[in-house]
Amino acid sequence: MPEVKLVNVSKRYGRIKANDGINLTIKDKEYVSVIGPSGCGKTTLIRNIAGIIHPDEGEIFIDEESVSNVPIEDRRIGYVFQNIALFPHMNIWDNITYGPHVRGLPQQQTRPLALEMLDMIKIAARSEAYPHELSGGTQQKTAVARALISDARLLLLDEPLGALDVKVRTELRYELRRLVKDLRLTALHVTHDQEEAMSISDRVVVMKKGRIVEAGTPVSLYTRPQHTFTANFVGEANFLKGIVVETTADTSVVDIGSGVQLRANRGKETVDERVIVVFRPEFAVLDKPIEVNRLSGKVMDVLYSGSIIRVMIKLPNDETIAAKRIASFDKPMYDVSESVTISVSPDNVLVYPYPEEGLKKALALE
Amino acid sequence: MGFGSKRTVSLSSFIIWCTLAAFFVLVLLPTFYLISYVFLRWPEVNREVFANPIIGDENWNQILKVLFFTFRLSLSATLFDLLFGIPLAYVLARKKFPGKSLVEDVVTLPLVIPTSGFGFATLVTWTTASGIGGVFGSSSGAISLDTLIPFINVQALLFIVHVALTFPYVVRTVETKIQSIDPTFETASRTLGASSFTTFRKVLVPLMIPGVFSGAVLAFARSLGETGATIIVSGVSSTASIAIVRWTAEFKLATASFMGSLLVIIAAAIILPVEVYLRRGKRTLRFSSHFPVSLSRQLLRLERFTSGKLARIKDFAPLIVVVVTVIVPIIVVLNSVILFWPADPYTGKLEGGVFYQLFGPANYFNHLLQATLTSIVVALISTYISMCVAIPLAFIIERRWYGSFIRSILKVPMIIPTSSLGLSVLLMWGSSGINLLSTGIWLIILTHIVFSVPVIVESIIPAYEGSDIQTYEDSARTLGATEYNATEKVSIPLVKGGIITGFILSFTRSLGETGATFVVMGRNVTVPALVVNMVEALAIPAALFTSTFLILLALIMLGLIRVATRRR
Ligand SMILES: Nc1ncnc2c1ncn2[C@@H]1O[C@H](COP(=O)(O)OP(=O)(O)OP(=O)(O)O)[C@@H](O)[C@H]1O
Ligand SMILES: [Mg+2]
Repeated sequence: MPEVKLVNVSKRYGRIKANDGINLTIKDKEYVSVIGPSGCGKTTLIRNIAGIIHPDEGEIFIDEESVSNVPIEDRRIGYVFQNIALFPHMNIWDNITYGPHVRGLPQQQTRPLALEMLDMIKIAARSEAYPHELSGGTQQKTAVARALISDARLLLLDEPLGALDVKVRTELRYELRRLVKDLRLTALHVTHDQEEAMSISDRVVVMKKGRIVEAGTPVSLYTRPQHTFTANFVGEANFLKGIVVETTADTSVVDIGSGVQLRANRGKETVDERVIVVFRPEFAVLDKPIEVNRLSGKVMDVLYSGSIIRVMIKLPNDETIAAKRIASFDKPMYDVSESVTISVSPDNVLVYPYPEEGLKKALALE
Repeated sequence: MGFGSKRTVSLSSFIIWCTLAAFFVLVLLPTFYLISYVFLRWPEVNREVFANPIIGDENWNQILKVLFFTFRLSLSATLFDLLFGIPLAYVLARKKFPGKSLVEDVVTLPLVIPTSGFGFATLVTWTTASGIGGVFGSSSGAISLDTLIPFINVQALLFIVHVALTFPYVVRTVETKIQSIDPTFETASRTLGASSFTTFRKVLVPLMIPGVFSGAVLAFARSLGETGATIIVSGVSSTASIAIVRWTAEFKLATASFMGSLLVIIAAAIILPVEVYLRRGKRTLRFSSHFPVSLSRQLLRLERFTSGKLARIKDFAPLIVVVVTVIVPIIVVLNSVILFWPADPYTGKLEGGVFYQLFGPANYFNHLLQATLTSIVVALISTYISMCVAIPLAFIIERRWYGSFIRSILKVPMIIPTSSLGLSVLLMWGSSGINLLSTGIWLIILTHIVFSVPVIVESIIPAYEGSDIQTYEDSARTLGATEYNATEKVSIPLVKGGIITGFILSFTRSLGETGATFVVMGRNVTVPALVVNMVEALAIPAALFTSTFLILLALIMLGLIRVATRRR
């Protein structure tokens, strides 16, 4: 139902700026994920919205109304915790009905609601069980049900699946999205699993050191990240330093050293500018290289990870890049020291201005 | 698996046997001797208590009266502790505020303060014009010695002293328990719509109940056995532990020992079941609080209404208890020493001044020096012997299958009222038992060992369990160390913090102990006992000075404890 708006929200812990001037609008019924390295302030952000902590600066609006003076219990949010936090001294039924109970709802009104919730998460049969008697996945589903029952309008999830094993995690993430969409809620989901974020969100927010780096749809973050940090953090990428040698209306040519040149779709860069050229390993064509943007080099290493093979290639300029493709027997394999040629379509080559703080710092997680 | 058997052989079983034997003789035997004494000499006890040729069963009536009074006092003090201690524990565990560690220190202070000195400070504060009365312009005290609290019929002053001395047990135990509860539960409750009071009642209280029980048990046991301060403020009334001291002094040994055994048995009957319950049921209590629906909704509304408004008051009101019962008496006694130094400020008489009493004909200063020497010798020797038993004992508790059993038995000397303990030691070693020692410094030492060993063991165990010793020791052993070597070179240094804390606690406890000491000391007076003697001799200025001396000593000890625990 609601729209959430953060205006210039900052929160400091001693010398650490856990949130540093956050501006973000989450639209009504939108499913937004926040990703970022550990300690970048994701939990702080979500706790600010919930009212568990109060920002030092800035303001938060829910449906255009400032919530600065609204205590936690009146913000009508559902909060799901990474460590699940079902009350250990109450059984599942009591956990789920806790919200309506403490809000003083009459029993005859609570009962059908709770039954519906139990049904929705398919654990009606176990409502007498205590939390420690259930599997992690079931516990977390219960926690979601508990958060949703007292007509939360905004669901805040802080690494809700982090404590679960991989299989359950992937299963539950789609269930979560379905639930949020069915109930027409607004959701903010913190995770450091970028795959999780990409696969269930309408929009993904990338954070670093208390600031928002950028926000966008999963596809745009993957194919057209606005910052080198995002390109590195979301998925995988090759980074090569270079200088723009030629520009036309829609293409730029970048020299990456030792006479090797790459052509890219034109951005804002100008001739002689120092730039970083970025492309993803999976966009490198290994087998039948096209005519433009060919790169030749020596195979340094070949790594298999199930369906994918990864080839590490040393270019003449001594930089090593990665290229990936599906592992399949009808295509040639590679030997170490063998010479190979790959190509990248100019559409898939991104050019960024050389970061002032240096490449290493720009990509660093902290 | 070969490791286990090898270990059994190599941690020289000699040490284990010596430790266990010392533990049995020095710690266990005296605690149980009292009860067996009553059984063995039943005819004598019977004649004195129930069928006295002259006064009939008057002694029995006395015992009953004293016991009822003691329980009223201890129970009401414990309930009061809970009422104010739990909110304070919550604030200390969950909130950050400037000066928090100072508050924690002040709360802890009564644990290390010599009780007779503290009791005297309280007496001066409430019943004389130098205390609270004087501040309000009265020429007498705020209350008199026998002002009663309505309903419970307990002297107000006794109640205040007992609250002050038992409060830290509730606060610190519950605080530790709350710290171990994940704060996410409370956050979750708030996000689900519960006000902070409702959250406290429905989430935190059920989860912290075990801590509340342990704290209450400790406070109750302490109050039952308190002697030092009680003897000074009790006036005409008598608690069980004081009665034992008095009857022993009157050589009514049979009555005293019968009362002592009753006290031990009753204390054990109340405390041990709680201990067992806490040990076994690690899970939290589940009570179904089925209020009538309408009442429950009203309660919720009330909690919601008051949560915002009363939060501050709830946070800081309990601090008043600490200020009134601990800080004010200390300030008053320090202030009084200065006031009374040259002469009695009210009459102007030199004889009423501290200086005259200390260095005049009564020469209390000499007594004080003598007593200080005795106290320090006793504290050093008893702590040293206790360490020799307690350190290996702590290791045995952690590593042997019968360890948890020993640890449970160790609870017994901790809950026994100290004057019963003193009596027990006196009976066992003295002329009516083995007849090895008569009253004096060695009996004091033997008595202090009984309660020092558990104190040291309980300080070492957390350090042991917190430092992953087994891993280090195993790795030392893979490098070729024998178990004995590994223990000496690796484990002992790792638990050093715990040992140091245990040493200071035991030393402090020994310095400040009054109840047991009084029974066994004979002519070798310690400083806390000296305060009692001074008060009984009405040498008030000298008592003022000695109390100040003891309180300063306690502050120094507290400083040392801070340093020792912080380094860890
Ligand atoms: N209560 C606190 N006191 C002091 N520092 C804090 C507190 N809470 C968070 N911080 C600091 O603020 C920064 C941001 O913390 P936050 O928990 O928001 O990070 P996060 O992105 O959620 O990390 P993670 O992925 O590890 O959960 C961290 O450096 C953290 O150490
Ligand atoms: Mg976090």
